[in-house]
This record gives sequence, structure tokens and C-alpha cells, in this order.
Amino acid sequence: MESLLFYVFAGLAVLSTVLTLSVKNPVYSAIFMILSFAATAGVFVLLDAFLLATVQVLVYAGAIMVLFLFVIMMINLRNKEAEGLRISPFALLAAGTFLVLLGRAINDLGPAVGRRANELEGTPELLAETLFTGYVVPFEAVSMLLLAAILGTVVLSRRQTGEDAR
Amino acid sequence: MIPLEHVLVLSGLLFALGLCGVMMRRNVILVLMSIEIMLNGANVALIGFNKYLIANPVDGSVAPDGQVFVFFTIAVAAAEAAVALVIAMALFRRLDTINVDDVANLRW
Repeated sequence: MESLLFYVFAGLAVLSTVLTLSVKNPVYSAIFMILSFAATAGVFVLLDAFLLATVQVLVYAGAIMVLFLFVIMMINLRNKEAEGLRISPFALLAAGTFLVLLGRAINDLGPAVGRRANELEGTPELLAETLFTGYVVPFEAVSMLLLAAILGTVVLSRRQTGEDAR
Repeated sequence: MIPLEHVLVLSGLLFALGLCGVMMRRNVILVLMSIEIMLNGANVALIGFNKYLIANPVDGSVAPDGQVFVFFTIAVAAAEAAVALVIAMALFRRLDTINVDDVANLRW
């Protein structure tokens, strides 16, 4: 049952990602990408990452994709640049090389050792304990990064006035 | 029990699809979405490896390191998406285009 659900969610994620990249209208792309992220959240649940599945739905499928949709609607393409997918041999070559290398790497993988069952696995309790003990410095660094991103966004989006505007 | 290999194949497929998207689409917003898809593929691999981590041989404890990494990846992806989308808006205001082929001033 568990592995059947995994294949359902994995197939849904790959299918909706393909649709994201191949449809012409960017709004449809964003909608299919929300589906792709939701399916990935299902995969996360099956891999015992319960908190991260919630974060994936709230932050990725919620906040980030709403941001994308807002920008798509503000830019308002007037259908002139609605171009579809152009099959480029270089892109297929790059992706094919990557997949072949990954296949070799998976082949060389030693026998996977299933970890001991932990009743706290993926809960906020265990994740928070690790995050705020062993990873305090990276956590603070990420908070500074987010602050820098906020400042950069405000500066870049300010409407330029006077002689600055060209 | 889901085999680790299958999780890694899913992760690699998502990453390769995102790579194709970055190289094939010319709309800057679709290029950004493809980058998010690549980050998502890497997240799947991290969570898969986290599930199959071997417990610490000394005290048998298991720390969810992979899940903490995914936490950081999501935060970085949010920051990146916000800044990149504002740059796309500025590009559209100034040059009236979001086609990446029209913005090749820095190309040799």
C-alpha cells in the first residue's frame, strides 16, 4: 500500500512537471507546478517527513506560487510572447548525460540500510531539537539571508524617480 | 518499504526535467520555475537519504540532518524566488520584454 502510493505520487509529480514545462500559458504552468509540489509533499509524507510536507504545501505551493502568479498577472503578456517549448538538442544532451551519470551512481550504491524506526521521525519536536542545537549558526545565517532578500526586493521594486529614471 | 533507488530515480527525473526547462524555455518566469523544480528534485533526494541514514554506532541516536537541510533549502528558495521575480519585474518595466534572448547584453 505504502509503495503503491509512492508510485502514484511520483508519477503525478513527474507528469505535472512535464505539463508545467510544456504548456504555453504561464498561468497554467503555475497551476501544474502547484500540483507537482503537492504530489511531492505526498512523497515526503511517505518518507516520514511530516513537518516538511506541511512546509512544502504552505511555503512552496502556497506562498511562492502565489508570488509567481502575481508577477505573471502584473506583467500581463498580452499573448505576444506566449511561446511554447522549443526542443533543443543541447538540453536533451545535458539531461541525458545527467541521467546516465545518476544511473551509474545508483548502480554503485551499496545496499541501503533501513534506519531504526523512530516514533518521533519527521515531527516538529525532533526537527526543532536538531535545528536549534546543532544547526543554530546556519539557522541565523538563513535569517540574515532572508533579511537581505527583503531589503533587496524593496530596493529593486522602488519606482525610479527624477533623473534616475531613463 | 520504498527502495532508496526509486526515490533517487524520482529525484533525478525531476532535476533533469528542470534542467531541460531552464535550457528550453525563453520566458524568464518559466526559467525561474524550472530552477524551483530542480531545487525540489534535490529536496526529494535529501529526504530519501535521511530516511536511510545509518544510526550513530556509538549511542544509536538518529538526527534528522537531511530534513534540516531541506528546511534550509526551502528558505533559500523563497529568498531566491522573491529577488528573482523582482528582477523580472524591473526587466519588464525597463525593456518591455521578459524573453531571455532579448537580454543578451552581457553575452560575449
